[in-house]
Amino acid sequence: MTDLDALVLARLQFAFTIAFHIIFPSFSIGLASLLAVLEGLWLTTRRQVFRNLYLFWVKIFALSFGMGVVSGVVMSYQLGTNWSVFASASAPVIGPLLAFEVLTAFFLEASFLGIMLFGWKKVGPGLHFTATVLVALGTLISAFWIISANSWMQAPAGFAIQPDGSLLATDWWAVVFNPTFPTRLAHMALAAFLTTALAVGGASAFVLLRDPEQPESRMALRMAIGMFAIVAPLQLVIGHASGEMVRVHQPLKLAAIEAYWKTRPDQAQSLVGLPDREAAKTHAEIAIPGVGNLIQGVPKDTVIQGLEDWPREDWPVVGLVYWSFRVMVGLGLAMIGLGVWGVICCLRPGGEPDRWFLRASVLMAPMGFVAVIAGWIVAEAGRQPWVITGVLRTRDAVSPVGAGQVSASLLGFMIVYAIVFSGGALYILRLMGRGPAPEELAPTPEDRAPGTPMAAASGEPGDDDGEDGRGGEERP
Amino acid sequence: MPDIIEGPPEKDDRLPPWPKRLMWFALLALGGSLATAIVAYGLRALLKL
Repeated sequence: MTDLDALVLARLQFAFTIAFHIIFPSFSIGLASLLAVLEGLWLTTRRQVFRNLYLFWVKIFALSFGMGVVSGVVMSYQLGTNWSVFASASAPVIGPLLAFEVLTAFFLEASFLGIMLFGWKKVGPGLHFTATVLVALGTLISAFWIISANSWMQAPAGFAIQPDGSLLATDWWAVVFNPTFPTRLAHMALAAFLTTALAVGGASAFVLLRDPEQPESRMALRMAIGMFAIVAPLQLVIGHASGEMVRVHQPLKLAAIEAYWKTRPDQAQSLVGLPDREAAKTHAEIAIPGVGNLIQGVPKDTVIQGLEDWPREDWPVVGLVYWSFRVMVGLGLAMIGLGVWGVICCLRPGGEPDRWFLRASVLMAPMGFVAVIAGWIVAEAGRQPWVITGVLRTRDAVSPVGAGQVSASLLGFMIVYAIVFSGGALYILRLMGRGPAPEELAPTPEDRAPGTPMAAASGEPGDDDGEDGRGGEERP
Repeated sequence: MPDIIEGPPEKDDRLPPWPKRLMWFALLALGGSLATAIVAYGLRALLKL
């Protein structure tokens, strides 16, 4: 095997592990905020439905958070094993950003997660709510640092190259708040909220197809509809702003996203087609002439660079970037459509979503994750052949290790991930599909945690709180 | 197996006095930080093996 094989395998390994990893934080960022909202609503209204929803989703949050942490640790280890040249050269800039993530976000999340999960009766409702809010804040701070580091790799700023080739930060403000960072952070945070709303909405719709009167699922679906009705159109606006940053700072990536082969004014907007890197053209293309510049937010006579402006060996894999972008945008438009449909359902007389909407919500439940992964493929594959744009090429960043070593670790990851994370993800799916279980809906016996088989067996549900055992006097 | 996630106090539950609640808040937060630090430094130590 050649060194090229080691490079390809190292890239495959990173792609495989990060595609798995991103599923969990994009879910836990949104779920942490949802839990804070649910607990806040429970504290202010005392409606049992919010308490029950909190108790149901907190279990899924804990599992998702745990798997996100474990799969994230693997990422940082890979920087040392497979990407040691990158780690060594960029450590003075990237290292502190990742260290800040651990110190300001991960410690915050990990510290207060303990109170959130184990301390409700010990600290009381006010302090418990504080802990939930701090965990939610921690997930967002974590996204802040990680997106800052990644955005710096997309459009580096505030650094100098030392004579030995290593990088040195000269302006930390410019490093952290690099040009593409604000829009990319907003884009990722909204993506996490949308992903969660779709998953929560889909899980609730799945339960409602079985039991249309289930009150917790009805409430959760309404909250989810409200979320994606607002956030999905907003994501379109923020995504466009992020695209404008790509046009300014990464024109090669834009050329790959839109399959602009020629440098010219008045570019056409390609809708679908089959980009052919060898022939430098798009086969079977459906395009709208004259609107490419308009969509990029520049006058018609502005020249937009095409791929021909760069040496062919510097081109990213055009088809992959082009189609990943279209999958992401297509799913985003479907999310807007689902939001509009959901609002129409809620505004109709009766105000209940019909079964077709419930089926569509179930179908859309995983699409947030698909869109997130597609978006990251656009960001990362579109940046190639650079690992740090214009500074360090991917082929120069890889560790001097053989293909055999990388294949062995890749195989190990695939086996472990297939067992551990697939098992965890399937367990989460099972919980979501089951919906809030009867024991979660019961009031908590004083000496037992809610949701336990012992609590369920103790006969409290229905004894004194109304016929369904859900604390009837507090229900709306 | 009993569920380890603790739910909210019910309306009839008597909460501990606030100094005790605050103490639990601080203890659990510090305990969480400490557990995280032990794992983090443990993993770091692995790199030196």
